[in-house]
Amino acid sequence: MSHAQVLFARMAEHPTDSHTLVMYEATGGYVQARRAMDMTRDEIVELVKTSGLLGRGGAAFSAGLKWSFLAPARPAYLVVNGDESEPGTFKDRQLLERDPHQMIEGIIIASVANEVREAFIYIRGEYPKPARRVQQAIDEAYAAGYLGKGIFGTDYDLDVTVHLGGGAYICGEETALINSLEGKRGEPRLKPPYFPAAKGLYMMPTIVNNVETVSNLPHIFEMGTDDYRALGHATDTGTFLFSVSGHVKEPGNYELPHGITWRELIFDVAGGMREDRGLKAWIPGGASAPWFVPEHHLDLEITKEATGAAGSMLGSGAVVVMDETTCVVKAAERVVRFFSHESCGQCTPCREGTTWLEMILRRIEAGSGRPIDAELLLDVSDNISPGLTWPPKQTTICPLGPSAVSPITSVAKYFADELRQHIVQGGCPLD
Amino acid sequence: MTDLVKITVDGREIEVPAGELVIKAAQDHGTYIPRFCWHPRMKEVGMCRMCLVEIETPRGTILTTSCTTPASAGMVVHTASETTKKAQAGILEFLLINHPLDCPVCDKGGECPLQDQTMAYGPGESRFVEEKRHFEKPIPISDLVFLDRERCILCARCTRFADEIAGDPLIEFKDRGNHTQVQTFPDLPFSSYFSGNTVQICPVGALTASAYRFKARPWDLRRVESSCSHCTVGCSIAVEASRNDVLRFNGVDNDATNQGWLSDKCRFGFEFIGSENRLRTPLIKVDGEFQETTWADALDLVAERLGSIIEEHGGEAVGGIGGARSTNEDAYAFGKFMRTVVGSNHLDAQLDDGLDARFLAGVSPRAKIGDLDHAAAILLWAPDLKEESGSLYLRVRHAVQEGGAKLVVIHPRRTGLDDRATHKLTYRPGQGFGLLADLAGGEGDYAAVLETLSHGPVVAIVGRTGLTEAPELAEAVAGFALGLPDATVLPFARRSNVFGALDMGVAPSLLPGRVAADDAEAMAQLEAVWGPIPTHEARDTLGILEGLAVGDLKALILLGADPVRDVPDATVARRGIEAAEFVVAIDLFLTDTNQLADVVLPAEAFGEKEGTVTNLEGRVQKVNRIVTGPGQSQADWAILDDISRRLSKPLAFASAEAICKEIADVAPAYAGMTWELLEWDEKEGAVVPYGEAVQPLIHHPAAADRKALEAMSRQPSSGAFALHLARTLYDDGVLMRNSLSLHALAPGAAVHLHPEDAGRLGVTEGALVEVKSVDASIRLPAVLDSSLLTGVVYVPFNQPWTPSLGAALSVVVAAGKEVSA
Amino acid sequence: MSLWPADVQERAKELIGRYPDPKSAVMPLLYLAMRQDGYLTEAGMGEVAGWTGHTPAQVQSVATFYGMFKTEPLGQYLVSVCTSISCMLLGGDDVLEAVEEATGVPHGETDAERLFSVEHVECLGACGGAPAVQVNYELIEGSTPDQARALCRWLQDERPEVVNTDDMQERFGGRRSFDWAIAESENAVGPYPAFGPYGTTPGGEV
Repeated sequence: MSHAQVLFARMAEHPTDSHTLVMYEATGGYVQARRAMDMTRDEIVELVKTSGLLGRGGAAFSAGLKWSFLAPARPAYLVVNGDESEPGTFKDRQLLERDPHQMIEGIIIASVANEVREAFIYIRGEYPKPARRVQQAIDEAYAAGYLGKGIFGTDYDLDVTVHLGGGAYICGEETALINSLEGKRGEPRLKPPYFPAAKGLYMMPTIVNNVETVSNLPHIFEMGTDDYRALGHATDTGTFLFSVSGHVKEPGNYELPHGITWRELIFDVAGGMREDRGLKAWIPGGASAPWFVPEHHLDLEITKEATGAAGSMLGSGAVVVMDETTCVVKAAERVVRFFSHESCGQCTPCREGTTWLEMILRRIEAGSGRPIDAELLLDVSDNISPGLTWPPKQTTICPLGPSAVSPITSVAKYFADELRQHIVQGGCPLD
Repeated sequence: MTDLVKITVDGREIEVPAGELVIKAAQDHGTYIPRFCWHPRMKEVGMCRMCLVEIETPRGTILTTSCTTPASAGMVVHTASETTKKAQAGILEFLLINHPLDCPVCDKGGECPLQDQTMAYGPGESRFVEEKRHFEKPIPISDLVFLDRERCILCARCTRFADEIAGDPLIEFKDRGNHTQVQTFPDLPFSSYFSGNTVQICPVGALTASAYRFKARPWDLRRVESSCSHCTVGCSIAVEASRNDVLRFNGVDNDATNQGWLSDKCRFGFEFIGSENRLRTPLIKVDGEFQETTWADALDLVAERLGSIIEEHGGEAVGGIGGARSTNEDAYAFGKFMRTVVGSNHLDAQLDDGLDARFLAGVSPRAKIGDLDHAAAILLWAPDLKEESGSLYLRVRHAVQEGGAKLVVIHPRRTGLDDRATHKLTYRPGQGFGLLADLAGGEGDYAAVLETLSHGPVVAIVGRTGLTEAPELAEAVAGFALGLPDATVLPFARRSNVFGALDMGVAPSLLPGRVAADDAEAMAQLEAVWGPIPTHEARDTLGILEGLAVGDLKALILLGADPVRDVPDATVARRGIEAAEFVVAIDLFLTDTNQLADVVLPAEAFGEKEGTVTNLEGRVQKVNRIVTGPGQSQADWAILDDISRRLSKPLAFASAEAICKEIADVAPAYAGMTWELLEWDEKEGAVVPYGEAVQPLIHHPAAADRKALEAMSRQPSSGAFALHLARTLYDDGVLMRNSLSLHALAPGAAVHLHPEDAGRLGVTEGALVEVKSVDASIRLPAVLDSSLLTGVVYVPFNQPWTPSLGAALSVVVAAGKEVSA
Repeated sequence: MSLWPADVQERAKELIGRYPDPKSAVMPLLYLAMRQDGYLTEAGMGEVAGWTGHTPAQVQSVATFYGMFKTEPLGQYLVSVCTSISCMLLGGDDVLEAVEEATGVPHGETDAERLFSVEHVECLGACGGAPAVQVNYELIEGSTPDQARALCRWLQDERPEVVNTDDMQERFGGRRSFDWAIAESENAVGPYPAFGPYGTTPGGEV
């Protein structure tokens, strides 16, 4: 394995002090932010567009394009989304803990590009250690004059505030995050009209970028757009952080280019299956993604397009691997339970539907399934996500509800027999 | 004006305002899209998802909520496609899985949107076999409203109303997802003055009103629309009754007035109608005790006593007070009775708590309530609207929040609208003239206020902030306001149909139809119909009471008036009435005042009679009958007509409607006003002068200069406090006394002091303090109130079990050992 | 009128000053309030309402939306066991059972002497080190049922005033999501995240 390490390079080379300002500066830190200070908004936006950087929070939307939508009203705000909570995802945690200055430098670049004087880093409440590391780094950056009044000796003021979440996955949705930051319930807003770039935080133009997205910025500046693009695949530029978990020998975060295959990722990079058991299925891009199975997907290239064409997504890069001992009904129940638990409760289909699905799955797993339940699961799912298509259609304000449908359709598609067995046998056949 | 765009709904092309929400655009053109959370008077939230429709877009057909989608040119909408129908049925199935289906014992059953839409759009059966959500139920969330969280479908109508419309965010969602519930904070109930609206807009039976729970099935209710009688806005309401009992008022959406909302006083203030304390038979006093008698005997007695007093002392020895709680027809009858049958000009519909009658009837240019929506600035120098006129309070709030009007509030104390005010000016009672001079001068801090008011259109709501305030201040304020750009004035007085009564000439200075009593030409025209009208100088309420006290007047006729409770200085009222030789009262209840009368005649109440009323804009609306009055009660006009016959000067009224026709003939501003015009289909009413009619009395208050203003300024006497005496929404008025759900909500008497004054007097919160005025002394608990200026005390007026303090500006406050035992 | 001590009030003002709108400070202040009372009391919510300009009902609405603002009394140690998909696959349910057994506290509850609160939680972002456990939000990765039992016994016997993630990981953890590498000096003092600016660290106010 010899893939270029970019975001993870410093921490690999300097494991115990990659988080300090001294080491960050010793390895070229804050030079790119200083460069950005002398560029115009248009120049920076164009550069980031050209780099092909896609948002790393799950939606994979062009970061440069997102910036270009910023409405002219001021003040504008930057909010860095560190509310990493999708089951299977833990890559932002590593970036926050081990190389916080990399992100802060990215924040300076993004702020200058978007004429932002006040930025917020929203870190999930269950990440106190990452939050502390980031706060230390911010304090160092203030002391060094990289943040605060007149940064880099210019007349540009930039304040950065860490905001801890309170335990709500939905705040990863950018309009919910904005509500949360305004001191409200973290309920997603209606889009339209509340597109953050037009009416975001305090109804002012707001850019919301993921931690990994922002952390890429110094590298784009440093290596230039051509080299940056060359790191990756034609349409998926740069590197990508995969969080691999589940029944593999070597779970962990891996910085990889797009374009390798799932077989390479699971069997080479992640060391193959624990106890060399058979691979049953994997979730290719976080709990929201429909599952893949070895019969169909093992040799598929890992790109946004190929994954989408095969009916799933790379999302936030979380790969959850399940071996042959896994009960898919229980696995589905766990994923559905997550979405039910994390539903904000605004939309009827999500609030009621995800809970209903969870109840049915639990009843089947407990041995009280009815023949009608297999069809009922799909029809309730259809009422949350009409047509059960990919990408999903939604009857809700945000995509959380339809996300809960993915494990159901996956089980129905690939493991209908196992589901039927649960119902016929009155319990789990794998117990 | 908004551009119109063409959209296609279910194959039919319609033209709608660009940007109008699809759900509303479709409804306005006859296509109803089901909904729970969307309410036309609140911001859309797209939560229940019931209004999902298919819309064709350039990127394909999408299923989306019609309540969040603005209409745009060429939009193609399918409200009944197979996909739409399945989605809507799916939503209903989801809503019903946790709904208890206890419809047989639910107040909402039979008028329930969840029931109705399930019938129309829902699946026939549920596939849900799991356990439903459970909550303790029902729980009281205020004195008036119960909450059943199992029935709740989480549409957020109630919570949005509380926050967005009422400005009382005391109920909110609690918890998340499937555990979400509506809740108050512990020990902080939903004690909003507007809580009852949530019951009306709840699309299920989750919120129910304590006054209506289990009282009726909706299909047993009869309903008429009417105009509320609790304040001078005249909100449109639906009055509902079963058998002969009025059981419920609901708000009706009249864009001109209340936009569907009601304060709780109005919503639950129907209880007095069916009170067991209502008068049922005529009463005459024999040896100091009331005895029931027949109408014939009672009327004979009234005619005999009045007749002999008139014969002996002339008609001008008789005074008439009241009419503000009556219909226009009753008030007209009262005025005509006093002036032509009795031969007296001493009559007044106001109880010394109002403003100059010519100002209230004739101020010009006069604003309409709807003008607030388009105002650039609103000057509110009037009573605290939250306490005195709930729906006007909501309308001003709405104008500021949604219309963007800048609000200037001027008042001696905190008011409900301070949180929405761009500028709030606080002053000491008596010093309003000085403040007005400073404001008009625009020096120093006042420059910014004047700047705000220099952008038109300006609407000035002008009234008397408290009962110790000189009525002339309002006139001066209006004079100032009318000098502002594009300014109009909305005159404010509080008692139900007082504007109608004044327009009917029940005032010393007015004749029917907004005519000044000294308008010789108009007088001649009226005499041509009425016959001779006396020419003696007229007295107002205070003048009548003082005249009775010293024997200048001998008799008093009260028409739905309770001076002992409602005249600011109860001592003056009581002294006058006790001195009178003869007092006859036409009323609903045996009030504190009527106890002093010789004859009390039972009258019909709101809901028991037909007629018209006029609100503060001059909007005439119809009130309707739904029940018959108790016992032998009769309409005011009929009683007055009976007395007139016995006095051999028959008014000869045939019916209330006939009186309305006579009004249209003789009252210039009311020309053309007919009951047909006021049919409730349009719900707007008609503002006088209507159509071709003209208003003879045009009162244009002039701006006063600093010198004149400062000359009117008053100070409390040395060492004394300035008293701010003002009404509260719930008080000890006779209608509130007999509306049991509300009477207990009166805040109770207290004396509010600035903390600095309290500190100086050594008074702590709750300590007993003595307040002494010229002829009264009462002991009250202290409340520290930093919204007052120092040197001012606030005492709420007319609270239960509390004697009158009078309305003098100066009061002395004693504390500690100085409080007399 | 605030009931908080002067230094806590200073902290509240400082936190409010970080935002363009005081209402934004509601979550930081809720943590501050938990630090004062050990959990989120009605008085604490009322206090936060006073500082931020929300009504108490609004503060309650916000607080109860989020899982970490607990409005019921909590134990000194909040033990959170992840049972989301990745942890479930590697035995998170068994770890939860072990914690319940060792503490005698079923998930969602607190013992009578308020030593332990136990909960199962959704994903903690430690999937590479599944199954994951947190004590007062300080992380232990790669735990086993036996280690979880030992952790609870240690807490019960030693009653440490503070807990440190490195220390607990060393004693009761296993495989990590990634190399932690950097020593962590900060400790947690109660059932809320330890974060200096919020005054929820051992140096913070009591």
